[in-house]
Amino acid sequence: MFISLVLFLGFWAFVSLPSLVLAQPPLPVSLTIFYGQGCPHCAKEKLFLDQLENEFSNLKVRRLEVWYNVANANLMSQVGQKMNLSVSGVPLTIIGNQAITGYQDSQTTGAQIKQLVIAYSKEGCSDVVGEILGETTVETDSKACPETSAVTPNKVINIPFFGSVDFSSWSLPVLTIVIAGLDSFNPCAMWVLLFLISLLFGLADRKKMLILGSAFLLGSAASYFLFMAAWLNLFLFLGFIYFLRIGIGIFAIGSGIFYLREWYKTRDAGCHVTNDNQRKKIMEKTRQILAQNSFWLAMLGIMALAFVVNLIELVCSAGLPAIYTQVLALAKLSPLQYYLYLLLYIIIYILPSLIVFIIAMTTFRAFGFSTKYARWANFIGGIIILILGFLLIFRPGWIMFG
Amino acid sequence: MKVKFFTAIWCPACIVMRYRWEKIRSQYPELETIYFDYDNDVEPVKNYDIGKTLPVFIFIDNDGNEISRLVGEIDKHDLIKQIEAHKER
Repeated sequence: MFISLVLFLGFWAFVSLPSLVLAQPPLPVSLTIFYGQGCPHCAKEKLFLDQLENEFSNLKVRRLEVWYNVANANLMSQVGQKMNLSVSGVPLTIIGNQAITGYQDSQTTGAQIKQLVIAYSKEGCSDVVGEILGETTVETDSKACPETSAVTPNKVINIPFFGSVDFSSWSLPVLTIVIAGLDSFNPCAMWVLLFLISLLFGLADRKKMLILGSAFLLGSAASYFLFMAAWLNLFLFLGFIYFLRIGIGIFAIGSGIFYLREWYKTRDAGCHVTNDNQRKKIMEKTRQILAQNSFWLAMLGIMALAFVVNLIELVCSAGLPAIYTQVLALAKLSPLQYYLYLLLYIIIYILPSLIVFIIAMTTFRAFGFSTKYARWANFIGGIIILILGFLLIFRPGWIMFG
Repeated sequence: MKVKFFTAIWCPACIVMRYRWEKIRSQYPELETIYFDYDNDVEPVKNYDIGKTLPVFIFIDNDGNEISRLVGEIDKHDLIKQIEAHKER
């Protein structure tokens, strides 16, 4: 009997030991959410965190708004630097030394956050944001945590008959193709290509024609890529500055109205003659370049001409690339992905020019797209830019892809 | 009737209309077309007050008077209607 009692108590003590350990008060856990006022994903996560705070008394949640609050935006950048993260999107959740970018729902991202809260309640973990704020010190608060990693949940939505669709993976490519397609029908730099083709017809050597025409297209594509990369890097560098986003939003609305006005004004669908002196100068320069004795100098000259023309004409079509790069900057992408999107934009942008050139070189006759396309591109582009402008100002979370 | 056709080498709408006009002209061999380049033919551009939208078709009667003008990209149907209305003048 006594032996049985000892064995029973021994067994009870053995199986109860972990729960006795667990019964110890949970360790304090700090969680910080960087959110944007008006961002729908942030609002969802904040609701979830309210519930989580009720469930875990040891959980302390810092809610820091970054779109309107410059100090909080700077703090988010500091956290990003410390954790070696790209902090281009909200909501950004920092728990211990873990970073979670984006929020889907309580079943996915929410569950992930809850798991971390449970784990850190038992094991403890340093509070990176608290350390930066000086609320906790590295010496007293640092605990061994899993390695820092950014977790980006997929925005998967189940659509009947189509199954699971990851919107974050297709909406940005579609937007890229649509905006670049609309931009490509902007005839700003097209006139120089048509003029160049007419001069190339005068060359006897077909190979030279092909190389010089291709040099112009390549120069145009490269210069446009560089301009867009510069826009993008500027927006990435400046990050989530509230006034910048509002400024771009207002610019987008202005551009949208301008494009719609152009659509309305150009009902006769023709070529509109503007800036006679500048056009004549460019035409004369093109003639001079092609009259060069050295083929290589002519080729370099054509590339330089393409660069200058695109620089001059950039004012004519700055709206679409500037707004597109701002939307791109809002997406949470790797540097390679950013540049691949720019490349996709450039390929679509240059396509009509390429078609014009190929048809002209094949048929030896000038070819041009009807200006009616450009007119309707102004209409559709105007509406899209107008919508993007309003979203940038009032609902930036809706256009945060990736 | 004569048609004075003002175009520019760099203008896509002019290229589109040149092909369209060539097709129409084959149906009306009696129609005389005189081509002008916006950048090279400065005097006619000035005299006819071409304006800032290209291409421009000016229909001239046998006495040299302007009958009508069409500006921009014009439908084939509208061009034929114009020719049919004035071809005897």
